[in-house]
Amino acid sequence: MNKQFTVMVVEDEVLLLEAITKKLQLGNFSVKGFASGREALEELKKGADLPDLIWLDYYLGDINGKEFLEMMKPILGDKWIPVMVVSNSASPQKVAEVMDLGVSKYLLKAEHRLEDLITAARDILGQK
Amino acid sequence: MSQLPGNKKRGEKYWFKRVVGLIAVQAVVVSLVVGLGWGWGLVGWNWMILMAVAEGLLLTLTLRDVRELRNLEEEMEKARRRAENERERDRVVLSSIGEGIVVLDHESRVSLLNKAAETMIGWTMDEVIGKPWGVVAPLEDEKGNKIDNEKRATKRVMQERIVLSNDKNYYVRKDGSRFSVGTTAAPIEIGGKVAGTVAVFRDITHDKAVDRAKSEFVSLASHQLRTPLSAIKWFSEMLLAGDAGKLEGEQAEYMHNIYQSNERMIELVDGLLNISRIESGRIIVDPKPTDLGELVKQLIADLTGKIKEKKQNLVITVHPQLPAVNIDPKLIRQVYMNLLTNSIKYTPEGGQIEVVVSTKDGMVLSRVTDNGTGIPQEDQNKICQKFFRAGNAVKMEPDGTGLGLYLAKAIVDSSGGKLWFKSEENKGTTFWFTLPLSGMTPKEGEVMLSSTS
Repeated sequence: MNKQFTVMVVEDEVLLLEAITKKLQLGNFSVKGFASGREALEELKKGADLPDLIWLDYYLGDINGKEFLEMMKPILGDKWIPVMVVSNSASPQKVAEVMDLGVSKYLLKAEHRLEDLITAARDILGQK
Repeated sequence: MSQLPGNKKRGEKYWFKRVVGLIAVQAVVVSLVVGLGWGWGLVGWNWMILMAVAEGLLLTLTLRDVRELRNLEEEMEKARRRAENERERDRVVLSSIGEGIVVLDHESRVSLLNKAAETMIGWTMDEVIGKPWGVVAPLEDEKGNKIDNEKRATKRVMQERIVLSNDKNYYVRKDGSRFSVGTTAAPIEIGGKVAGTVAVFRDITHDKAVDRAKSEFVSLASHQLRTPLSAIKWFSEMLLAGDAGKLEGEQAEYMHNIYQSNERMIELVDGLLNISRIESGRIIVDPKPTDLGELVKQLIADLTGKIKEKKQNLVITVHPQLPAVNIDPKLIRQVYMNLLTNSIKYTPEGGQIEVVVSTKDGMVLSRVTDNGTGIPQEDQNKICQKFFRAGNAVKMEPDGTGLGLYLAKAIVDSSGGKLWFKSEENKGTTFWFTLPLSGMTPKEGEVMLSSTS
């Protein structure tokens, strides 16, 4: 069997976090779920057991996706974890901003089935 | 103007003197006649009567002249007052207009500035008359870069002889502060020659703030609506996939209905968002030279699944020499998409659909024809209205937002084209739409169409 990948899911909507976690686990991923951006960053600061992929919502309760990415950079130093943003809204400006910060994919929640989003995650990990 | 009443007074005095003079002459004549007359007898009396009649006649004529001249002068005076009142009214109207008005000569020097313009830019007309407008009110872009005089609308309208509007830039005031300005400039043409520019402008700081608030509201509302919609979508997807145990018979069927209804709700939210974006004019129009034939072919590739499912026959004809047209591919794709999905939806299995892209009278003419269910006569005038769906369409296909044609028409209208159709129930429908070969006008906006509708 393939290596089990770990996905860090940062999503402030508890119900959505629950659905994503469940579906990822069914797809044989190990999941670390966070409902707040800052808590997820704290976890990354520990430096141990870094995830293979970050599944990031844009509007988090405390900070936004752009801020998350900016704060994440110095924490990770020369390491890099691929990020997919799964958001509710995709204004061209917002998308351009986070893509500039190294995001692999920007997807709209309501446009995609969970199944398709997990396929997208697998694609990114396959490219890694 | 001020010497006119004086003229009139001199005129009156002159006529007054003439009348008094005549009476005096008559008095002298009468006294002479009376003094000498008794000796002269009948001859003297006759002469005197003759003189009196002549003098009387002269007096009458003179008085009539005076009256006529007075009338004439009164009328001239009235006309003068009218003209003066009109001039004064124009002056007051111009200075009371809430919008700033500046009139520039052919070298872009200030020749008039109204009150609102003075208040906005902080200079008075006396201070700046004859000075170059580029120095009086420098223009900056959003980032604070000065805009070249040659590129300013006030200058360009004279060279290109067109009317230009702009709401992207800022005027710098006398005190160095700046404000967001909306300007419309037009050339002043006299006898076929450009004599200068007239520009109307206003401070649009508040409008921009309102616009921003509105766009933030729409984006926030869509965010709020989409979160629960996503939760319903994903949980029902998992239930249908058997992630929480296999669903049996009616359970699966009902869950499927929930999933489908939710999909429709997601489409509605997208459709409404798109409409509010188009209606508010905030949509980005980003024209690129586009091969419409290629665009249609790619679009059809996306729809092949549905077309095959219904075993429909699709024929595409694209004018072989169709030039690349400067249009926004995302917007125009949406038009073809909405027309084609309607044709696929409302044409029975094995039906015929035809797409033709050609040119006519400086326009690109596109036609989408099907031999489907058609639009009932009584619904034809309402078919492009928001949320309206034809009676037969609802029966055939319960799901649908009633926004597709409305959106298609809105896009075509705002692109300088026209959209129309001909349809007969149970025979089929043809939609036509045109786009100017000269292309769409680019528009900087804040939002794009949402892609799912």
